[in-house]
Amino acid sequence: MKKMKLILMGIALLSLSQTSNIFAQTGKEIAFKVYNRPTAKDGESDMKMTLINKKGGKRIRNIHQFYKDYGKVEKKILFFKSPADVKNTSFMNWSYDDANKDDDQWLYLPALKKVKRISSSSKDNEFMGSDFTYADMEKRHPDEDVHKLLKSENLNGEDCWVVEAVPVDDDDMYSKKVAWISKSKLLPMKMDYYDEDGELLKILTINKIQKVGKYWVITDETMHNIQKNHKTNILISNMKVDQGLSDSKFTQRAMRKGL
Amino acid sequence: MKKKTLKILFVLLFFGQIAIAQDEEPKLEINGFVRTYLGVLTQEPQNYSIFQNTVNLELQKQSDKIGFYINPYLYQYPKGEMNFGLREMYIDLFSDKYDLRLGKQQIIWGQADGVFITDIVTPKDLTEFLLRDFNEIRMGITSAKLNYYFNDENSLQLVWIPAFQPTILPEENSIWRPKMQFPLPVLEKDCTKKEIPLKLENSEFFAKYSLNNAFIDLSIMGGYTWDDDPAMHINKIIDPATMKPKGIKLTPEHHRLTLAGGSFSTDIAGFILRGEGAYYFDKYFNTQDPGAKDALVEKDYINYVVGLDKTIGDWRISGQFIQKIILDYDDPIMQDQYQNLATFLLSKSMFREKVRFEWFTYYGIDNQDALSRIRVFYMPYDALSFEFGTNIFIGDKGMFGQYNDNDMIYTRVKYNF
Repeated sequence: MKKMKLILMGIALLSLSQTSNIFAQTGKEIAFKVYNRPTAKDGESDMKMTLINKKGGKRIRNIHQFYKDYGKVEKKILFFKSPADVKNTSFMNWSYDDANKDDDQWLYLPALKKVKRISSSSKDNEFMGSDFTYADMEKRHPDEDVHKLLKSENLNGEDCWVVEAVPVDDDDMYSKKVAWISKSKLLPMKMDYYDEDGELLKILTINKIQKVGKYWVITDETMHNIQKNHKTNILISNMKVDQGLSDSKFTQRAMRKGL
Repeated sequence: MKKKTLKILFVLLFFGQIAIAQDEEPKLEINGFVRTYLGVLTQEPQNYSIFQNTVNLELQKQSDKIGFYINPYLYQYPKGEMNFGLREMYIDLFSDKYDLRLGKQQIIWGQADGVFITDIVTPKDLTEFLLRDFNEIRMGITSAKLNYYFNDENSLQLVWIPAFQPTILPEENSIWRPKMQFPLPVLEKDCTKKEIPLKLENSEFFAKYSLNNAFIDLSIMGGYTWDDDPAMHINKIIDPATMKPKGIKLTPEHHRLTLAGGSFSTDIAGFILRGEGAYYFDKYFNTQDPGAKDALVEKDYINYVVGLDKTIGDWRISGQFIQKIILDYDDPIMQDQYQNLATFLLSKSMFREKVRFEWFTYYGIDNQDALSRIRVFYMPYDALSFEFGTNIFIGDKGMFGQYNDNDMIYTRVKYNF
């Protein structure tokens, strides 16, 4: 239930102590290794989201984001910097380890000067009109899928496990996902998403991974919707982790005050 | 040579210091929008209901401790008339425990959408009824607002308004002027008592305690204010020839109003349940009781709203029920004891947020009248939007039915910067 952690924040963290030569790995064991890798307690960064249509036209959203993990709850706040019509809008999300508990969400619209508690969006919805759904950005528990190690493969110089994940729930929006997991970084380098009919729907490509503090972080990635032929690129910059962010950063007062 | 080097070094250091200082200094941000707006009445002779160009500027500078905000606006009309104003202009002071805002500002309270129950701190501009965007309906008011934060969940807000400012109603000849019905023709109107003198004792005071946590957003409020709706003091004018009343003299006058209320919002099984209510003490109501002085009686009344919001797939759905109840009701009172209203909202974004559809309806349950607003926004580029909409008034009486002749279609083009 920890939404938007894996990709959106770019604070997908891994243990450097993990080594690549692990024998007799099963798909499930690999999935748990990725899920249980150490993560930063808090962080902040700039995010530039570029929506690219089939003709190459671009629309850009710039956001500054803060994140803090409290154990059972993860709090996140986004401040929209552009485009101008959404500038100074802020969005706060509290997500819970308890899978039965919905996220709590608030939205501050500067024109209305009011923080509103909002009904949390369906996980299958697109995030801000992008090619990422809320579910794509969620740290997904391995028990929600059946994992199968297909093979090992070198992808762009990175030694990877290729793992297939088939959801346990028949109502899931994807029929399966195939991920290329870096053996050294325990981060996905590429993911293929298949629709309910088993057709390839989207491809996630990781363009850049950087080390921030103790952690490897995805800082440039592109989701390509093959069927609609449009893309979304996310660039993360100015990232800081483990700063000891104050709890007051994640309040309605902070939403109103802005950056 | 050495001296010259030192000079250059000094100059570099000096300008370096300035550069560093400038880096630390927050920047002045300039934002706003330019908009052109054309609306036409659908009934013959299809007059323009609105023909307006707008510039709205927002100037803002803010550091951790201090900031200011200025929001000038200009409405320009086809015959060259212009309406310039400052919607807000204030200074902010911040500390760990409190925020203080001084100056002309909008203060927004409550959880209701499209109705004003505890949200009565800021006066309204109803020149175009409820058709403007809400940030344009709300006027700033010169005030001091102090927020004190006990901790991250609990806070107290205190507001002092030194001078009362009433809501602006449409001009006498406006199509949005509310229809007022009196038993006899209005022969005389005395507006001398409408103004509230500028003195300390005429200040308004508001206080609000808020609790915001994962389970609930809760607030409890109280206010000692002036009634935004002037009471209509009515005196009969006697025809000396017949010694019978031939009409009335109307004297609008604002009176003190005290209220207490609160609001809440919480998530229940994926639904957002919202509520807001207020108890108003001693509000003036017009009555036909012949024994009543100036045809007025003072009664307490309750106004509340209950609302439910839900996101289903890409659709956002919201409904509200609003009720006003006059307590200790007497039959001669001209307003009904119960007034029931409902609102309904349906909206959806499509095509990667390039198109947004919105349908918002007010429905007056008692008079079966309504205002139905259907709007489509097309955003071909970031920050540019084309809006096409209709405002349909249904019924022949009531808050919305009275505008049955004012059905309109309109377009607005807006560029944010």
